[in-house]
Amino acid sequence: MKPSETSPRPLADLALDCLGKNGPDWEAAFCAATAAMRAALARGEDQAVADALRRIALPTLDYTSTQALIRLRKKLRGRVPVRQKVRIAVLGSFTTTQLVALLDLFLFAAGIEAEFHEGDYGVFRQEVLDPGSGLYAFKPQVLFLATTRRDLGCGANLALDGNGEAAAIESELRAWAGLWDAVQRNAGCQIIQNNFVAPASRAAANHELALPGSLGRIVAAMNRAFAAAAPTFVTIHDADHLAASWGRWRWDDPRFFHHAKLPCDPEFLVDYAHSVASLVMAQLGLAKKCLVLDLDNTLWGGVIGDDGLDGIRLGQGTPEGEAFVDFQHYAKSLRQRGILLAVCSKNNEATALEVFEKHTEMVLRRADISCFVANWEDKATNLRLIAKTLNIGVDSLVFADDNPAERLIVRRLAPEVAVPELSDDVTSYVRTLEQHRYFQVLSLGAEDLKRTEFYRADAQRRDEQASAGDLDSFLRSLDMTAHVGPITPMSLERSAQLIQRSNQFNLTTRRKSAAELSALLADDAWISRTVSLADRFGDNGLISVLLAHVDGDALEIDTWLMSCRVLRRGVEQFLLNHLVGEAQKRGLRWLRGVYVPTQKNQLVRDHYAGLGFASAGPAGAAGETTWELTLGESWTPRPNFIKETNHGPSAQ
Amino acid sequence: MDQVRNEVEQVFRNVFGDDELVLRDAMTADDVEGWDSLTHINLIIALEKRFGIKFATAEISRMKEPGQNVGHLIASVAAKRR
Repeated sequence: MKPSETSPRPLADLALDCLGKNGPDWEAAFCAATAAMRAALARGEDQAVADALRRIALPTLDYTSTQALIRLRKKLRGRVPVRQKVRIAVLGSFTTTQLVALLDLFLFAAGIEAEFHEGDYGVFRQEVLDPGSGLYAFKPQVLFLATTRRDLGCGANLALDGNGEAAAIESELRAWAGLWDAVQRNAGCQIIQNNFVAPASRAAANHELALPGSLGRIVAAMNRAFAAAAPTFVTIHDADHLAASWGRWRWDDPRFFHHAKLPCDPEFLVDYAHSVASLVMAQLGLAKKCLVLDLDNTLWGGVIGDDGLDGIRLGQGTPEGEAFVDFQHYAKSLRQRGILLAVCSKNNEATALEVFEKHTEMVLRRADISCFVANWEDKATNLRLIAKTLNIGVDSLVFADDNPAERLIVRRLAPEVAVPELSDDVTSYVRTLEQHRYFQVLSLGAEDLKRTEFYRADAQRRDEQASAGDLDSFLRSLDMTAHVGPITPMSLERSAQLIQRSNQFNLTTRRKSAAELSALLADDAWISRTVSLADRFGDNGLISVLLAHVDGDALEIDTWLMSCRVLRRGVEQFLLNHLVGEAQKRGLRWLRGVYVPTQKNQLVRDHYAGLGFASAGPAGAAGETTWELTLGESWTPRPNFIKETNHGPSAQ
Repeated sequence: MDQVRNEVEQVFRNVFGDDELVLRDAMTADDVEGWDSLTHINLIIALEKRFGIKFATAEISRMKEPGQNVGHLIASVAAKRR
């Protein structure tokens, strides 16, 4: 190594240098970046170090490299602005120190400052069952139960027959559900619960799954029982899938269990922590929402503008063409579970569209793409346009492009966009995307599976709007009907999901968990309302949640949020009218609302003013404003074009 | 052997976050700041990865027993590499 005589390169460049390299090249780039970060930290350049750290803290790092980043991250604690804070309790039956440090690293990389409570080794049951324990004093928002198959009460027992095994599984499940309920009663926080990693070794050899009472069969049955029985406030973390995808023999390293009570080969702790972090991020509403795809050499081989419809490689016949078909199938499967797809390509629009319309081997069709942008503008600008068109944040986008130059430009000019490092081989695209766990969710509801349909019907409505002349006649022509009512067990999951995900039309961004929600539903001082909206294009499902509580002779609105799909449809006016009715029934004389500004909810800054509320004093320290509405004789309902119906939504 | 010593030193510097750390044979865990049971595991992982070797369960404990020092550690790494 020779000392550099030129001026040092910016940290951001050194961090970007680490991407797309392997072996000794990567090692050199990583060493240079971390050394420069340490030096910058000593000079007090906290923000630049944090930005660089966010670029290079990836789930693909080896364990030893992450330790260097963890040291840097610890020094940055509380020293840079973050998007969100969260309190996480981790109770485990293994040494969680290393896992927690890694979890903290990945959360920090996503802009989250986490505060942790770690239980003592192996006493998780006592901590959960004792209402006076340190766990509850900590008041966690998330509890991670970091358990292993060693915590199974029903171990292998080859004396069991099928019935005995079923009874053992049932009583085991009851014991775990008892722990979950205790947490729900005492803390009301979201639980992330590990399932059980099946062992690599098998007493019954090939016939393990056929032999009642074998460990492999017990573990498999417990994992199925967890998946089926977990209530909304429990998210099962699929540790078994992690182990299986890395390989069970490689996953287990008993040396480190016996020495340090580590649950697996320490190298895999990195991915393990990333997997748990992705669930926490989903809970905080930070999961990505849209996959933006380049076209040439990303969705097909070759360049459509040069090679033409017959020349591009796509479809059966060539190995590469088949691989592109597989990648399109993967993208389509994401769309089917509610992830939006968009296209961002340097092409003439007509040329690009022709492939979607005419190429017989295309799996993705024009209707699968929620926003299609093909032009010659720079891609950073186009990505911002896509986010705006879809009404989602730029930081909700993932951009997949095979071209390293395009990726670099986007990373520099639109750093909020996640840009995975695709290799030049299409067969690696799926794994690369999966590794980042961009599109994690806490649970999959029926709504997710329908969501992309909603967005498409939405585009149709927008066309209608263009032709309907004035807004009132457009709204009237929609024949909107809405169902409004309290949150029910049926709508709890979807309500909690909206609370976690909504960023823009969200007055206070208070992320209540499903557990907190159910606690408040049982409280008479609280009113909860959801609105489901249908129109002649289809059912929009449950699109708005409101929580309010009685405070003296006022009804104070704690949470008011709405899906941006139904902006400017009159749902706010409709819900206000309903709420005023509820307040009057209870003899209340005021409605009070608060607006707490975030980076994303500018949209609703004037929400209360627009509904006729009066400002109740100057803004608070965080810019929050309070608004009041007097419910006197003079109050008249706000006009809208939505008819109330008694028919609840079908399944949600 | 010098090559091994230099590489082990580099691993120590990474693991303990000290770019100026210099190894001497007589050093024990007490002489290196931050060498506790947690970082001991990190050290083992880093050495195994760097040299493509594997320590046995008993060896991992032995390294921290009285009478053992950095000299023994370097010798054991060199022996495994052969």
